[in-house]
Amino acid sequence: MSELLRAPAEIKYAEELDWLESIDDGPKPFSWRLSPKMVRLFVLGSERSDGLDREVAQKWFGDRSFVERSIVTLASDRGLLLIGDPGTGKSWLAELLSAAISRNSTLVVQGTAGTTEDHIKYSWNVSMVIAKGQSRESMIPSPIMTAMESGSIGRFEELTRSTSDVQDALISILSEKYISVPELAGGGDDDNIVFAKPGFSVIATANSRDRGVNDLSSALKRRFNFVRIPVVTNKRSETEIVRFRTEELLRRHSIDLEVPPTLLDVLLQSFADLRQSAAAAGSDDEKLESALSTAEQIGVLEDAVLHSNFFGESALTARTLASSLVGSLTRREPEDLAILNKYLHGVVEPRSKEQGGSWPEFLEGGRDAIATLS
Amino acid sequence: MSGDRESTSFGALRGQLQEAAAAFAGGPDALEGILLGLVDDVDRAVREPLEIFPVCHHSPASAVAMARRLRAKQPKVVYLELCEDMAPLLTELRNCRLPVAVQAFAGDVDGFPKEWAPLSVVAPVTEASAEYQAIAYALDTPGVELVLVDRSSDHVFQWDGRDEQPQEEAGPPREAEAALHGEAVGVEIGDLRPRFAELEEHLLRHGRVRHWSEWWHQYVEVPLGDSDHDTYRQVMFLIGSLFRRLAPGEGSRLRVDEDRERFMWTRIREHLAASGADPADCLYVCGAFHAASRVAEFGVRGDSGAFTISPRTATAWQYGLIPSSHAAIEAQFGLAAGSVSIAATEWAKSLKRTRVRPYVLEGQAGKRKSAARKAAAVPAPPAGAAADRLSGFLRRPPVLDSLDEAELLGWSVDIVRAARRSGYLASTADAVAVFETSILLAGMRDRAKPTPYDFQDAAVTCIEKDVVPGRRDVRRLVEIMMGGDRIGQVGYESLPPLARDVHDRLEPLGLRLQQRGVRRALLDMVSRPELRACSDVLWMLRRLMPHGAARPIMGEQRLGERSVQESWDLALGTHQRALIELGYEGVSIEQVLEQRLRRAAYGPGATAATVLAAVEDATLYLGSRRLADELGTHALKVLAAERGVDGAPEVLRRVRALLAHYRTSEPVLPSWIESFVKSGYAHYCTLLPTAFGDEDATVGQVAAMLGFLFGMEGLALSLGCDRTQLELAVGQSHPEDPSKTALLWAAQVQLGTLSRGELRSRCDALLANPLVVPAYPRYLSGFVHALEPVPGLADVVVEAVSNAFGRLPDAVLLPWLPLLVTTLRSSAAELAPLLIREAGRIFPGRLAALDAWVPPWRTPPVAPDARRAGPGGRAPRGAALLPAHPATCDAVAELLGCTREWTDADRPGDPGGSGGGSGVALLTAHPAACDALAGLLGCDEGWDSGGGCGSPARGAVLAGRHPAAAAAWEAVLARA
Repeated sequence: MSELLRAPAEIKYAEELDWLESIDDGPKPFSWRLSPKMVRLFVLGSERSDGLDREVAQKWFGDRSFVERSIVTLASDRGLLLIGDPGTGKSWLAELLSAAISRNSTLVVQGTAGTTEDHIKYSWNVSMVIAKGQSRESMIPSPIMTAMESGSIGRFEELTRSTSDVQDALISILSEKYISVPELAGGGDDDNIVFAKPGFSVIATANSRDRGVNDLSSALKRRFNFVRIPVVTNKRSETEIVRFRTEELLRRHSIDLEVPPTLLDVLLQSFADLRQSAAAAGSDDEKLESALSTAEQIGVLEDAVLHSNFFGESALTARTLASSLVGSLTRREPEDLAILNKYLHGVVEPRSKEQGGSWPEFLEGGRDAIATLS
Repeated sequence: MSGDRESTSFGALRGQLQEAAAAFAGGPDALEGILLGLVDDVDRAVREPLEIFPVCHHSPASAVAMARRLRAKQPKVVYLELCEDMAPLLTELRNCRLPVAVQAFAGDVDGFPKEWAPLSVVAPVTEASAEYQAIAYALDTPGVELVLVDRSSDHVFQWDGRDEQPQEEAGPPREAEAALHGEAVGVEIGDLRPRFAELEEHLLRHGRVRHWSEWWHQYVEVPLGDSDHDTYRQVMFLIGSLFRRLAPGEGSRLRVDEDRERFMWTRIREHLAASGADPADCLYVCGAFHAASRVAEFGVRGDSGAFTISPRTATAWQYGLIPSSHAAIEAQFGLAAGSVSIAATEWAKSLKRTRVRPYVLEGQAGKRKSAARKAAAVPAPPAGAAADRLSGFLRRPPVLDSLDEAELLGWSVDIVRAARRSGYLASTADAVAVFETSILLAGMRDRAKPTPYDFQDAAVTCIEKDVVPGRRDVRRLVEIMMGGDRIGQVGYESLPPLARDVHDRLEPLGLRLQQRGVRRALLDMVSRPELRACSDVLWMLRRLMPHGAARPIMGEQRLGERSVQESWDLALGTHQRALIELGYEGVSIEQVLEQRLRRAAYGPGATAATVLAAVEDATLYLGSRRLADELGTHALKVLAAERGVDGAPEVLRRVRALLAHYRTSEPVLPSWIESFVKSGYAHYCTLLPTAFGDEDATVGQVAAMLGFLFGMEGLALSLGCDRTQLELAVGQSHPEDPSKTALLWAAQVQLGTLSRGELRSRCDALLANPLVVPAYPRYLSGFVHALEPVPGLADVVVEAVSNAFGRLPDAVLLPWLPLLVTTLRSSAAELAPLLIREAGRIFPGRLAALDAWVPPWRTPPVAPDARRAGPGGRAPRGAALLPAHPATCDAVAELLGCTREWTDADRPGDPGGSGGGSGVALLTAHPAACDALAGLLGCDEGWDSGGGCGSPARGAVLAGRHPAAAAAWEAVLARA
């Protein structure tokens, strides 16, 4: 585990999952490793009232009903489509769910403009085909096909980035639950059809900002249940998320650095301000290109932490935070810079005079970063 | 209280709780105090000789338990936690379609801070509520008395500081349905909700529910659904006590609650003493929170005398019923959207399931008369002291409502149909998925039967995709399906006299105006003159009611103008509350309008302009000379007290309109308007010099003053004003502002102290002086405003503007142009047409003519004589003309009284008569005409004595004799 840069959820939480499986006495649908309630417990963490011997940490932060609806969808006949702004934790939730349900979250197809039908169904090992002809041996199954064969959860990231013909290939998989391999026809013993085992389902994620690029056909929409994940705006849960992810990150990099809570507050507050201004903006030019999601905040913090660890005096300062905020959020010049400049002078400056604390240093750092960039 | 603990039936429970407290907290401490206190509260409430019936608002379980208990006990007196002053209205409920709200309203406050007005308290009543059961039972059962015991509406405001009220008000802006209660303060029976935010959060979290209504439904409603009376009571007492004991110790809200409890118990004891009723025959219906009260006055044997009820203030309260809606109730009391609707559905279901026969007020509107069903067998009232039902209830595992497959299937099919109607691509497969998902979701949430909330989640999961195709999303569709928002309606009989009167008077329109929605009314007053009265009512309603209640589509009403056809969009049913609240102000809309006009006119902020507006409205809407005269006289006083000129333009406009109206419709002007003009003349004369010099007075305002002075001058002078006053005032005025200077010049022209020529030369001088040129546009703006008082100056203004375009340097002209356009558009909208008409007269109409055109002010002045005199060589033309147009000649002759015939020789077309001589011949043929003409022209030296009428040369002689007449005649003819 220690040799992995980023362990998938089922490895990272293997021990916890084992334990949960051992105490789980609830009914399990299909070949699920955990009952739906335990899956929920795994994702959302335990409460004292659950009466468990050990505490299960909360891994995904958000409305309980989203998780419940997602789990229930996977237990039903339909696929699950998590839709939301970038950085809202869709993929993380998908990973947690597939880790908890089938102990394998790596059966992933990444949807891109270059994704072809082969990536969803199967392709051929050309040299094997030449050597032995077309057979099950020389066939390379896609992650989805593997999931079908093993009765586990297949994941399809960024479904709307792939073209319509690729998307349409999913329709038959989701409704008939098998893939036919016409090349193997005539070989007898039904080898030309790969049937899905019970427990197979698909979790797809789609970026709501990409709407209109490759719209889903209504036939495909019908086969998915949509769960919309909103941007977290609740300050308390956002603090939780940022803290949780940052700790994980520091552990991963084995960095011994403390993130002062006041700086976390500064970060959250500045994102809240920027979101507010984006909501009030009239045109796209007046708002930052960034979606200002929680993931973005974590990115800013990560950047600042790494910077102070390797180049700074191993303590996170407001100055570093400000410069990484400016650095991460500036994607377009001069629009984004102008907005950040306006933000620093219009909002941060009065606040630093009023409240003091880390704000004056934050302002200073932000100004320097803007000066460097422009 | 601890002394009698052991003596009651709750001993065993106490023991257990003591053990539990010891186990959790490790010893006797606060926890034990709380836990045992809960049991004490329940115990005390149960042992109270007057039966306390704890309820919670919008709880079908409460309502069912209430109906059941009333049938079993048949109490003689029902005490109800509702404002005592609302009692007389309750019987009116039967005329209404529920939900409606009982409202207490005070427009004028006496004893409260003025800014609180208007005060309004509403108590919504829904069908699925325990209080409605109690009310229906008490009102329709002979010999039963209903006594409302809560503090009066007046005390609501006496006790609740205004600052603390937001607790009951919903914060976010509401939808139309949700705003049915307006700004009223809500009072409700059985407000039961944790007061600790943390406690509520804890309950929601552990109950795995989203909001309070869902928690209540799952953990109280369902388990209590079929429980017996004792269990119901004890559980409700327990919950009330729990929320009471686990509440923050903040003073104000608890103080009000305790005062209310003291109030209620004091009133109950008073009533018991007065009526001599046996407490055992009575029932006290109150919120569970109040049942757990620990005030000393609690109970029929409670401490009396310590609490005195404060007298009400002098505020006069009006009472009425207003329509309410589920959404309005939810918004007002902070309930989850849809929860009241779901409660109503649950109520209907529990009635079917438990076969309890509910009480319904006789003749309740919106209720079908159901065939008298046989009531379910009423269990005999339990005898003896209540046993401990609480222990059993608390130990019982969560009640699992058994799955009602048919119902869930029905819901699933219905929601898919509703979704399809709203544009979703939903199919039968979705119905199956919703059904399955509901069950799975409910299973995850530890319930066998999906609640409506689970079903809602399932429907959203399965049907909602990335976009909402129609107006409503799936969540809202489920809410609608579950009963939807129900909007109440107050029946005709329960409306205040004013509202009934309005409906009666609009009867001829033949529209069902009581119903909600917009109705289109077409009024053709030519074919149906009786509709004129309806039209009057509608115009008044438009003036009095909020926008949209009565909206004219076609037709208008202004002074002296009435349409013969009108069409209206009427939404009186939708705005029923506004109409009912009008009813609190008076008995007829005329009275209300009169009051409002008086209030506006006599209010502290009234100006002459607002008072005149009130006069106009009084004339327009009420046609009341009496009121108009009274208000007009008041306007006079207000004007005299005014020191500013801000309202001058408005005053001028209104007075002009009123004067025009009175001149055309009355034989003599009302005396007030004469006095108004008279004092206005003197008033504005006095203010004029100051206004000219005052920087704050705009040129428009000064122009309006001048407009008043010049426009009303004729009338004012006839009434005895002195023009010298105006001349002196103008003489005293020394404005510095260029625009006002121009205005002053215009006034001087009007007064005759400045000639047009001088004005022109001043303008020229301005243009010629490079130091003043930049200010020229401001002079022009003054001139444009001067058109109001001195419209005759239009040609000079056109000239000045033309000169500006012609001569101003671009650096001055271009920046000024936008200003000119905006000035003309905004402040001089009425003057622009005048200016344009004048310009149209002066400038050539066609482009081609422009090259040769010389502006009239550039042409050298022509002497009038020169213009009149024609060139000398054109004499024969006239002479030739006369015989060519004999009819003209005849007409002239006839006009002059010469009726003699043409001589043959002179006949036109006569071959003998020569063209050149015929004119002369004519003259000689009609010597009288010639004479008359000569006389007319002032040439009366008489005929030449040598001349005879017969001679052909006489014409020439005539012309020779009357050379001036001939010339004049010539000129006349030439022009003709």
